[in-house]
Amino acid sequence: MSAWWQQLPLARRSGAVLLVLILVAALLAPSLAPDAVSQDLERVLLAPSLEQPLGTDHLGRNMLARLTHALQLSFSLALLSVISAAIIGISLGLLAAWRGGVIEAVLTSIADAVMTLPVLLVVLLFSAFAQGEFWSLYIGLSFALWVEYFRVSRATIKATLVSAPVESARMLGFGNFYLLRRHLLPELAPVVGTLMLFGISTAILALAALGFVGVGLRPPTPELGVMMIELFPYYEEAPWLIASPVVTLGLIMLALALLGGRKEMP
Amino acid sequence: MIKVLSHLLLRRCLQAVLVALLVSTVSFFLMHSLSGDLAFRIAAGRYGYDMVTAAAAEAVRVELGLDRPLLQGLILWWQQLLQFDLGDSYLSSAPVIEEIREQFGHTLQLALSALVLSVVIALPIGLIAGLNPHGWLDRVSLTLSIILRAFPPFLLGILLILLLSSKLGITNAANASHEHGGLFLPALTLALSLAAVSSRVARDAMVEVRRSAYFNFARTKGLSDLLALLRHGIRNAAVPVIAYLGVQLVFLMEGVIIIESLFAWPGIGHALAHAVFGRDIPMIQGTAIVMGLLFVLCNTLVDIACMLADPRQRYLASRRADA
Amino acid sequence: MSAPELKVQDLAVKDGKGNWLVQPCSFTLKPGVALSIIGGSGSGKSLLVQAIMGSLASGLRASGEIRLGNAVSRAEDASGRRPWWGHTLAMLPQEPWLALNPSMRAGKQVAESYHYVSNTRMGMAQAKMQASADLNQLGVAAASEKYPFMLSGGMAQRVAFAATRAGGAQVVIVDEPTKGLDADARDNLLTVLQTVLKQGGSVLTITHDMHVARMLGGNVMVMRDSNVLEQGTAEQVLENPQHEYTRALLAADPENWTQAMPAPGTGQQILEARGLGKRYGKQTLFSGINLEIHAGERIAISGPSGAGKTTLGNMLLGLVAPDQGSIALAPGLDKLKLQKLYQDPVSAFAPRLTLKQAFDDLIRLHKLNPSALPPMLARLKLDEGLLRRLPSQVSGGELQRLALARILLLSPALIFADEPTSRLDPISQQDTMNLLLETVAENASAILLVTHDRELAAKTMQRHIAIQHA
Repeated sequence: MSAWWQQLPLARRSGAVLLVLILVAALLAPSLAPDAVSQDLERVLLAPSLEQPLGTDHLGRNMLARLTHALQLSFSLALLSVISAAIIGISLGLLAAWRGGVIEAVLTSIADAVMTLPVLLVVLLFSAFAQGEFWSLYIGLSFALWVEYFRVSRATIKATLVSAPVESARMLGFGNFYLLRRHLLPELAPVVGTLMLFGISTAILALAALGFVGVGLRPPTPELGVMMIELFPYYEEAPWLIASPVVTLGLIMLALALLGGRKEMP
Repeated sequence: MIKVLSHLLLRRCLQAVLVALLVSTVSFFLMHSLSGDLAFRIAAGRYGYDMVTAAAAEAVRVELGLDRPLLQGLILWWQQLLQFDLGDSYLSSAPVIEEIREQFGHTLQLALSALVLSVVIALPIGLIAGLNPHGWLDRVSLTLSIILRAFPPFLLGILLILLLSSKLGITNAANASHEHGGLFLPALTLALSLAAVSSRVARDAMVEVRRSAYFNFARTKGLSDLLALLRHGIRNAAVPVIAYLGVQLVFLMEGVIIIESLFAWPGIGHALAHAVFGRDIPMIQGTAIVMGLLFVLCNTLVDIACMLADPRQRYLASRRADA
Repeated sequence: MSAPELKVQDLAVKDGKGNWLVQPCSFTLKPGVALSIIGGSGSGKSLLVQAIMGSLASGLRASGEIRLGNAVSRAEDASGRRPWWGHTLAMLPQEPWLALNPSMRAGKQVAESYHYVSNTRMGMAQAKMQASADLNQLGVAAASEKYPFMLSGGMAQRVAFAATRAGGAQVVIVDEPTKGLDADARDNLLTVLQTVLKQGGSVLTITHDMHVARMLGGNVMVMRDSNVLEQGTAEQVLENPQHEYTRALLAADPENWTQAMPAPGTGQQILEARGLGKRYGKQTLFSGINLEIHAGERIAISGPSGAGKTTLGNMLLGLVAPDQGSIALAPGLDKLKLQKLYQDPVSAFAPRLTLKQAFDDLIRLHKLNPSALPPMLARLKLDEGLLRRLPSQVSGGELQRLALARILLLSPALIFADEPTSRLDPISQQDTMNLLLETVAENASAILLVTHDRELAAKTMQRHIAIQHA
């Protein structure tokens, strides 16, 4: 384990540490600062202090509590959509690669069409079904993200199925289940891992972007994008307020990008 | 070459049709899921809120085909699309096609400026950094690229507004709904995000070329470093950079949606967000289809550029066209 | 015009930490006389010629002196030799299909040397005509308008050779010229190099192929572990080697192999094929092949590259369906009894699975006796500790023997060995081949061997099937 950790490049290790810190904050802080909704109009736009580590917003709400609740929300939605997308995408990819024929042709055409639409556009379309609802965003994200897993797993599996190691395993008498377990999944795992990291950052970002534009989740839900738009008018009086969701989102993106270790991904 | 080109165009056209049908189907179900509320709102838009009766709302429902069986309605909906009829906006009552025509120019202007600006920033930095890997320019551009990548376009946009707003006299850009604050800031925001990655792609391509056997052979043949670079370096380094532009287009489209809203730039992305907010289904469908088609078009151009730059791809494409 | 003399004095290479990568050595390359440097991988022979050229990777330091005609250069002053490149000193790189610019037509890559490098300073139009004439003379006129990826290895090599010479250099360094070429392309190249020598040029060749050294004649230098072991004329070194390593290298050349064990009496028929044929697109690969294989037989498939040797073998194993003809297995013979050895043994194993896991899986699947494995490994001179590694962490020779061990566990009736030793150095090629033949004989299995090495086929196999291009 430690040897495995040692051989990771520095960038990926620092990404992992940063991500763990953010996640710990998200998991622990609600118990330290549980109240993210109650307002106190006597105490608005307070600067950070011991009592209010990140200050209070324009309605006197505890910023630390709001920020950490927002983190929980972002990560749970992102994880949920990415896992659903991965399961659907990989299963369909497996089906297409293994069976071929009409099934493959139909699935590939659909995937091609979805690929053509930017993730954000798809999520926007779906969010129109039920504005401000968690589930429409979840469905939109899963629908936009599954194609990546489908495309990659189909290509990897097709290439692996005709590769010499699989040919040789078949000649030695191994069956399909063995090929799946020992040949296909080990090939897929690292690619899917990278895709999932990338997917999580896409999902978190899309959620925040939609919230910011006003078509995602709605106030008073504590969500990073919603917080940014709410606090935007106060940036001259209390710049630290808008800074905290902006910097937090930046740190999440940085952590995921470093951990992913692939520089090509935007 | 003509055969290859027609093969490519055919494939892309098919993709375009599929995209249009996909968006249109989603829009159709969207309309159905919102039907009650929708008919009422449209009727209210026509006759005023006080005059809306159940009968008037029902008349609108029939007019929209919402009373028909689902499948029949969907086919009718598709037929309209295939006749290039995108309908009228529920909000402004103007034909969707008219509205989009206006916005499209703005979006194209923004996207192209961003793309050109990003190439102007990224290419020289990337290529020069690649000529001297681990030199100071390489390190500085790597650090900047990592930081910029942590701030996706809309965060970068917010930061730029916060930093520059007082200087440029843009007040509260997020709320400035109709007046926009110029092309420069939104284009720069997008361009910086694009350049953060493409400069590294260009750098890696250059490093790869310089390490290649053919580049070294060009030098041992007796060509000077400059000649080897011009005749054997640049073109081969350009291929991955051009191919990467295709990947960046998705990123650019997403950026356009958010950045237009952030900077109140009156393009398609802004209109789409607006339409979603107002549940203006014909506008949602229209803008989404146009963005999808624009993306297919750009990708086709990238494919052609790649084939022009890389004979291997030309050859593979002609093999595919024959098969 | 004859070449200037290349004189190398006390040339050595060290890495950044001061370790010797090439110990000091001296030699002279005279016009019209070849010099071949022979050695395995890691012997330092490639570094030696890079030091001469002045193209060492940064971090490596050369020392000594290099004279070319009247010009003198300190070895550490690499840039001082840069003006020689192309004009007086040129290098034909290894794997020429990688050394040609993938996005420029072949003819142009030759012509540019005439235009930019050669002292004649030809105009581009004239340079192109001269390039076509050169390619025509080398028998690859058709290559001129093609891109490198459309050329075969042998064609790409002749294009690269033309580009190397076009600058006017009379002293040519040739790095591993036969790597990855079939026998015909190899002989072709040797003819070209002999012509250079006859015209008064000089040729310095790096190779691990004894045949190349023998054909070029002149002088020979043997290297191992950064040391020059011996040097002398080709006859001296090749006929009367002084050093033990040279003797082992010579003995490992299939030409010098002693005839393999006597042919065992042929046993029961394993399979019978009638009228086999295969098309590839519109082209016919081969057709009308009839074949019977009996237990214990040793058969070589020979033919030019691209003739379908591997395809035929795969067809007999049932991996490729024939377009014409039929294959009948002996009644009661399980498909499991037909097995294959790959050219690149890495491709026989799942890349992310330890070897131990791969063997355990096989033993469990077929309910084999696990105690059969250790003696099998010992028989193939394999250490059991190797099993803890991944396939990519084991040397090519060892991995090929592990692949052999794995299929021997299934006591195969027929082993199709597709160039099983072509990626190994001569000594481990000989070891691996001997073990393969011995264990096959002990098992009474038949073996079907694809190889481009005629000598190896002649020395090890009993009978040959030749396939020609249809």
